[in-house]
Amino acid sequence: MVAIKATRLSKRYNTVVALDRIDLTVNKGETFGFLGPNGAGKSTFINILLDLVKPSDGEVSILGNNCQDEGVKVRNKIGVLPEGYSVFDRLTGRQHIEYAIRSKDADDNPIEILDRVGIREAADRKASEYSKGMAQRLVLGMALVGSPELLVLDEPTSGLDPNGAAEMRDILREENERGATIFFSSHILEQVEAVCDRVGILQNGELVTVDTITNLRSSLGGGTKLLIETGTDVNGSLDTVRGLSDVETAIENDETIEVTCTDDAKMDVIVALHDAGVDVVNFRTEEASLEDMFVEYTAGGQ
Amino acid sequence: MWRIIATQDGHLTVGSRSVKFLISVLAFGVLLLGYLYPIQGTNPTTTAHFTGFVTEWITLVTPVIGILLGYNAVVSERESGSLKLSLVLPHSRKDILLGKLLGRTVPLVTGLGAALILAGALVVYPFGELLLLNFAVFVLVAICYAILWVSIGLAVSISVSSKRRALVSGFAIPTVFVYGLHTIERAVRVGLSSTGVTSGELPLGVQFVFGMTPGRGFTRVVDGLTDPAVSVDGPWYLSEWTGLLAIGIWTVVPLGVGYRRFKRSDLH
Repeated sequence: MVAIKATRLSKRYNTVVALDRIDLTVNKGETFGFLGPNGAGKSTFINILLDLVKPSDGEVSILGNNCQDEGVKVRNKIGVLPEGYSVFDRLTGRQHIEYAIRSKDADDNPIEILDRVGIREAADRKASEYSKGMAQRLVLGMALVGSPELLVLDEPTSGLDPNGAAEMRDILREENERGATIFFSSHILEQVEAVCDRVGILQNGELVTVDTITNLRSSLGGGTKLLIETGTDVNGSLDTVRGLSDVETAIENDETIEVTCTDDAKMDVIVALHDAGVDVVNFRTEEASLEDMFVEYTAGGQ
Repeated sequence: MWRIIATQDGHLTVGSRSVKFLISVLAFGVLLLGYLYPIQGTNPTTTAHFTGFVTEWITLVTPVIGILLGYNAVVSERESGSLKLSLVLPHSRKDILLGKLLGRTVPLVTGLGAALILAGALVVYPFGELLLLNFAVFVLVAICYAILWVSIGLAVSISVSSKRRALVSGFAIPTVFVYGLHTIERAVRVGLSSTGVTSGELPLGVQFVFGMTPGRGFTRVVDGLTDPAVSVDGPWYLSEWTGLLAIGIWTVVPLGVGYRRFKRSDLH
């Protein structure tokens, strides 16, 4: 069963292409991470899901209902934590949750929800006095109202301290275990790595890849990162390294060269640098993290 | 679902001190006139004649209050981002519009209606005469006039994306169509006669345009339908019935145009 299905979804603002023919299917029950640097188009995609923004082309449906033509029906089935919101000035935290409960015709207990997101003691304070982190928890609480089939969360951990982010991940896990599909965007990779079944990487409005984290790792050919300290300037020798087979990327960073390559290519890299007259002071290897894959995918687009 | 928005918004509107103050000013003025009219007014003292007495106050004060209630109803939430919290719930943009319209008109209509009925009582007691039907029509038309201005304010609020723009256009409209109308009319008359197009009187088409502004329309309806002692002279297109039409058009058309814009716009 399909939770989200986008077909050639595009959005143009005058001459700027914010989303370029996105084809994406998110299955029911999975936790899907939508990854990309700021400005890649993640929020535009999510705003179209919520019918806050109209697509220029293509279409997208949630649980079988078109997001634009049947928006109210769609939003009845989903819980949403949008970005760039602000809480209602004169309402308390509890009144916010009650508003969501009335709007969804649900029968949740507001205090139980506030307790779950960790702001029970602030229930009767005006939400405008909340910190950014508390507001984020409050709106997550609104999203949880009515046990929705799908949670759509735009940068859910923004404004949260590390503890808060961990609690957020716990809630997402619980919701997923209950059977909910989770779709969330992030530019912070460890968040995605920790909870996602699959990730999609968005870059300059294009969906560069969609895969499981395991597959992403193995597609890196063993996924080794080589950190080489050099005493001197490397000048043109980076291009030599990039020219080697089995080398994915090579970046110079403060007299250190970072190379991602297959395990077998490590020695070739060192030799090539030596031949080019670069002093190799020291070198070590690391397993490629999602961060490296991310850099690789997104830097490749530029 | 618009009921939920209306309830929510109505609570917030009634809770606001500036709204309470403005509606109180309107109501107090109406009551004061209701008290003064039997003392000051010419005989006989009737509720029908009272309508002419109170119309000017309503014509002048209601536009400001209606616009103030309406102009920031949606745009302030749009600018701050709290509109998103409503729109990601199962509410359509039409729900937002209807809910806000209701949430903002109910406090004004209640205040104005109650004040008019109390003022009517002051007129009738002890020596006045009540013309029930005429007075009921008057209260109804006054309420429609109040709704008209909230509707225009709301139309502005959903058409623009910043509060500043809403404020400017929100107050430009009553300035042109109510408070400055007389001046504009005089300028047009002088302009037309000095260029030799007309001699003094405004051309019929221009008279019609001026006559179809909200305040003029409202005044004609009050004169023609609520006070048997007064009648509306002039051609058919300046009758009380075109006045009713003007009220209808101004209530529905700007809001409809605004809604079309709002429905299509991207809310970031």
